[in-house]
Amino acid sequence: MDAELFAILAAWSVATLRSATPLIFATLGETLTQRVGVINLGIEGEMLMGACVGFAVGVATNNPWLGLMAGAFAGALLSLVYAFLVLVTHANQIGSGLAVWMIALGTTSYFGRALVGQQVTPLPNLGSDWMDDIPFLGVLFDQMTMAVPLAIAAVLFAAWWLANTRPGMQWRAVGESAVVAAENGIRPRLVRLHAIVVGGLLAGFGGAILSVDYTQTWAQEMTKGRGLIAVGLVIVARWKPILVLPICLVFGLAEVATLRVQSAGFAVSPHLLAAVPYLVVLLILIVSHIMPRRDTGMPADLKSVFA
Amino acid sequence: MSGPVVEFKAATKRFGATVAVDTATLDIRSGEVLAVLGENGAGKSTLMKMLYGIHPPSEGHILIDGKPSAVQGPADAMRNGIGMVFQHFSQFPALSVRDNLLLAWPKTPFWTGRRNAGIAPALATLAELAPHIDPDVRVADLSVGEQQLVELSKVLNISARIVIFDEPTSVLTPAEAHNLHGFIRRLADDGMAVILITHKLADVTACADRIAVMRRGAIVDVSASGEKPISSIVSLMMGKEIKRTLTAPKPIKQRVEQLFLNNVCAKAPGMELRNISLRIAKGEVLGIAGVAGNGQSLLADVIAGLHPITSGDVVLEGQSIARRDVRQTLATPLGYIPEQPRENAVVEDMTLLRNLNLRALAAGSRVDDEALDLLSRFNVNPPEPGRLAGSLSGGNLQKLVSARELGTPRSGVLACYPTMGLDLAAIEMVYQELFAQAEAGAAVIWISEDLDDLMLAAHRIAILREGEVVAVKDNDGTLSRDEIGALMTGLRIDEVAA
Ligand SMILES: Nc1ncnc2c1ncn2[C@@H]1O[C@H](COP(=O)(O)OP(=O)(O)OP(=O)(O)O)[C@@H](O)[C@H]1O
Ligand SMILES: [Mg+2]
Repeated sequence: MDAELFAILAAWSVATLRSATPLIFATLGETLTQRVGVINLGIEGEMLMGACVGFAVGVATNNPWLGLMAGAFAGALLSLVYAFLVLVTHANQIGSGLAVWMIALGTTSYFGRALVGQQVTPLPNLGSDWMDDIPFLGVLFDQMTMAVPLAIAAVLFAAWWLANTRPGMQWRAVGESAVVAAENGIRPRLVRLHAIVVGGLLAGFGGAILSVDYTQTWAQEMTKGRGLIAVGLVIVARWKPILVLPICLVFGLAEVATLRVQSAGFAVSPHLLAAVPYLVVLLILIVSHIMPRRDTGMPADLKSVFA
Repeated sequence: MSGPVVEFKAATKRFGATVAVDTATLDIRSGEVLAVLGENGAGKSTLMKMLYGIHPPSEGHILIDGKPSAVQGPADAMRNGIGMVFQHFSQFPALSVRDNLLLAWPKTPFWTGRRNAGIAPALATLAELAPHIDPDVRVADLSVGEQQLVELSKVLNISARIVIFDEPTSVLTPAEAHNLHGFIRRLADDGMAVILITHKLADVTACADRIAVMRRGAIVDVSASGEKPISSIVSLMMGKEIKRTLTAPKPIKQRVEQLFLNNVCAKAPGMELRNISLRIAKGEVLGIAGVAGNGQSLLADVIAGLHPITSGDVVLEGQSIARRDVRQTLATPLGYIPEQPRENAVVEDMTLLRNLNLRALAAGSRVDDEALDLLSRFNVNPPEPGRLAGSLSGGNLQKLVSARELGTPRSGVLACYPTMGLDLAAIEMVYQELFAQAEAGAAVIWISEDLDDLMLAAHRIAILREGEVVAVKDNDGTLSRDEIGALMTGLRIDEVAA
């Protein structure tokens, strides 16, 4: 009885973790970008590009790690386009983000056709023989790849980075006020460039995990709005990297639950069910805003994006 | 002696059609304090921002050590050993004091964790200057005087050889200003070039070696301190003779109490107000005196309905105007001049007209356009209703806020340091308007750090210490500075005098 319960629990945990992992990377990237006062809707495109390029390289080289790195690189490259539009030509942030997204949508749909139906070598599982007997953990590690611990490490590292390093401090400062930062001898444009590229790197990596590790296939428009969800989750996480983890896990759990309900054969429209994770996030957002609080954690300079 | 460290050579700065600084020629030398005087909008801040790289000159040039200045921006300025304490502080309110200090320090190591010994020097100056400030507190939770000390530490941390102070004493108590004077003197004696922009003649007599006077963008006079009598310097500044004639408001004939603080308690980080009870009558001006950081800003926020009270009430003409909950929307009926008007009272990227009508805008009602009358009545310069508020000089912005808050009849007025950063003529004008409100029937609360002014004009003076009103004194001509000083600090009179 106990063993059975453990098995179910482990199965759900693993599914949640795996479905949340791509989102954790993307949300973390967007959090860091927004911390310097920039809203990048192009993150959806950067994820998609990462997924496409990562999958292609993974297939071509038979090495999933090379695929993941190529995906991250592609995301960063695309984020440079966004950075150019926003920082050099001073284009509107929202418009530039949409433009980048459209670029990614077009190119991946075109070049991705050859990838449909291809097989990619998956990442190895973390489990080993001696673990199999351990209840819960045995199952957990058996179905988990390095992607999950990497995501957790990235979140912890980012939180620590912001709080304990000089560049991290400068990122926070630029997000509060680019004008005051400049008066203090910081170069806000350079700082924003760094954060946008790091955001692109993480989003691309997240996208590659989606195609190479999670679904192990390529499908057109496969990110299905995950990048945009990341933009929303940043607000729920109050711009704090450390909160990205639990928030994304809630989203992952909701997604897993709806999948299980679907496969258990309940007669609910799959389209309605697919909306559930988004509703859950919306609910958290509403509740967290109703709770009285003066300090929202929003970087002050972000407000000017909407002015 | 070597040549000047900085030379302005016919430097001009235009903003569109405005000539903020007009062919200024001036030299700055090491080891001396140069005071820059001038009325609001004379171009003092702009002159120094040219040196600091924020506004490069439109014409003419600046030499540093005899070579054309290559300063392109503040970062360059700091690298060249130029530090500036701004009129509006350049701080991040949402970040801690530590972070603010480290951000402005060029030698900040890569690891800024608490245990890294490399960050200690950045905090050492503050520890020396103001040991009572906790570096982990957010800057937003500090009083203005404390914020300035943080700002000062930042500049000292870059081991500057040229230090610019833009009206540093306008936000300080007399005691704090006195400390600062000594401090500025020491900087100059250590060989630094110090530039002190100010309106206060006390600053000039206390520590200046030379005095430059600006009027309408031009440098009209440079003389050694003591060479000319103060009165002639003032007349150079104003272009007309100004006498200090603070006329107190009329005494109250019959006390009709109108504004009540009943056992007000409130809490904010680092400050707690306990059982504050005050009754202000129609036509009365109640002064509030106290050493900075004893609860003035929290008290003002509570009376203005910005900060929630934990118990008690604030009542104006029988109606409660206190906030009980952060979520409540509340527009204060008081005429309210907050401290630091640039941050707290104007929308910098709206026009003067819209700023004058903020209340109507918030309520969604029609905006009227008697702006021009108000702007000229309160001497806001330039009086162009369509101009953006952000482009006004510090003093003119303060006048703009006064115009909005005192320009229409009110039943209650709350003025926090209403003359901060104003020149003598403007101070006179604001006081007149403030007292006129009282004479027209308003109950006026006037928070000030200038004891002399309070004693000249307030009907009664309440003394605030550590979040409590320790005494309310009738200002009947028998009050002495020492007595109030003793109440403010909690020391006995003989200790204060010593
Ligand atoms: N960024 C700007 N854009 C347009 N005009 C400006 C700007 N900054 C200053 N000015 C104008 O230049 C003139 C000089 O302003 P400045 O701030 O140097 O005055 P100030 O002498 O420092 O006055 P105060 O004592 O009131 O601070 C003013 O008329 C002001 O309106
Ligand atoms: Mg000024």
